[in-house]
Amino acid sequence: MRPSLIFTLFLCLLLAIDGALFVDGLSRRKGEDATLAQLEVVTGALGLTDLAVATEARYTRHPAVSDPVAPFMDHPGAIEHFPTGAFWLPPPR
Amino acid sequence: MALKNIEKQLNILDYALSSLWRRRAKSFSILLVFAAIIFLLASFQMVTQSLSDKAKQVLAYTPEITLQKMSAGRQEAIPLAYREQLAGIFGIRRVVPRIWGYYFDEVRLANYTVMGMELENMPEGARLDASLANGKMPGPEARGWVFVGHSIKEALNLDERYTFSLFRPDLTLKAFTVSGEFSRDTDILTNDLIVMNLADARDLYGIPAGLVTDFCVYVANPKEIDTIAKKISTALPSVRVLTRPQIQKTYQVVFGWRSGFGSICLLAALAAFVILAWDKASGLSPEERREIAILKVLGWETSDILATRFWESLIVSGLACILGMTAAYIHVVYFAASLFRPVLMGWSVLRPDLHLLPRMAAGDILLILAFTVIPYLAATVIPAWRSATVPADSALGG
Repeated sequence: MRPSLIFTLFLCLLLAIDGALFVDGLSRRKGEDATLAQLEVVTGALGLTDLAVATEARYTRHPAVSDPVAPFMDHPGAIEHFPTGAFWLPPPR
Repeated sequence: MALKNIEKQLNILDYALSSLWRRRAKSFSILLVFAAIIFLLASFQMVTQSLSDKAKQVLAYTPEITLQKMSAGRQEAIPLAYREQLAGIFGIRRVVPRIWGYYFDEVRLANYTVMGMELENMPEGARLDASLANGKMPGPEARGWVFVGHSIKEALNLDERYTFSLFRPDLTLKAFTVSGEFSRDTDILTNDLIVMNLADARDLYGIPAGLVTDFCVYVANPKEIDTIAKKISTALPSVRVLTRPQIQKTYQVVFGWRSGFGSICLLAALAAFVILAWDKASGLSPEERREIAILKVLGWETSDILATRFWESLIVSGLACILGMTAAYIHVVYFAASLFRPVLMGWSVLRPDLHLLPRMAAGDILLILAFTVIPYLAATVIPAWRSATVPADSALGG
């Protein structure tokens, strides 16, 4: 068998895996759209401003309503020390 | 003619594949490193993109204007009396006071987010039952009830019982009864929430009557948000005014390549790529020179050798791209970005189940290609040309 044919078959296998992931993604998307209505109700009813992803520091729990300087406000010379501070950028003002 | 050309390219592809297989240890190591770089970049891109996407969808229903009082650069309680000044601003439909804050549980070392409000005055307050997995909303006069998020239920072991207590600032206990639990589908918003009546939140935090944490302001015409926000700033200079567009914008920029972790991903990728490119561009090994010389003696043209090198680079970078991006998608969707969770959630004790589902648009794929495959192909052009122009006699020691 020619090397190019083996390579093409391998490529087809990878693309088939990607295709299966795509189809699964579509069905997941439908499920996610169904839960969107619940999320909209919660946001509207509670007036939420942020996602509950990181709960360790107030400025990464609620970045939208925090000051960019909040990580350094605990005492003079305070440094930002929470790990999530590395992932989240300070909010623009 | 076209068939002949295709046959020729297929033959060159066969040769390139055989050549890669002959140096398989080197080829696989380059492929693995390259795929790992793409995996890192694509995972970061997918996580941040799906979180931004989710925020964009759900924060469209956030209050149109949020007001906080600032003093000495810090947020402090806002007097309820400010509502009288707000009443004079035309276009404001409703002002809802709210008390919210954090409660640190010293036993479990977890931070809870407590929200107290008059739900009956909130826009979707009457429909909140729809987001509960169980339980229902008590009447407006009821006291001592709470709705809890999933992680709160787990942290406080509320499987069998419905009551728990939290400490007031003076260390006296305040008892609550769980009236409902938020659906797990809303985890990304409610995971660490304890929702209660405004009066109960005031009692829990010991906030004096006449003060609240912030106001949610709703306007009659959403097109006038900015105008009304300016009027509020003028009327109440000590108040910070946050508009819905500002809050939405936060989540479009808060995850980005300029964050510490994003920069590390990018720099690691760049460093690894520079090493790869350096390896390619730093000249030919004697073995490679000999191979090219033999091919030229056998009648191969410079363009054929260039085509071989192009196919080799395309196979390596293309395969690395497919493998890296597929692995990144599986990592983000099926393993909830488990490699990033230590940084994304840090020391958080309460962690939501992230159901991330990235929308891979053509632009995102192009961005990753632009960072990886295209520079790799470009970096191989010069060494390929150099290798193709080596005189056969010099390479063979003539």
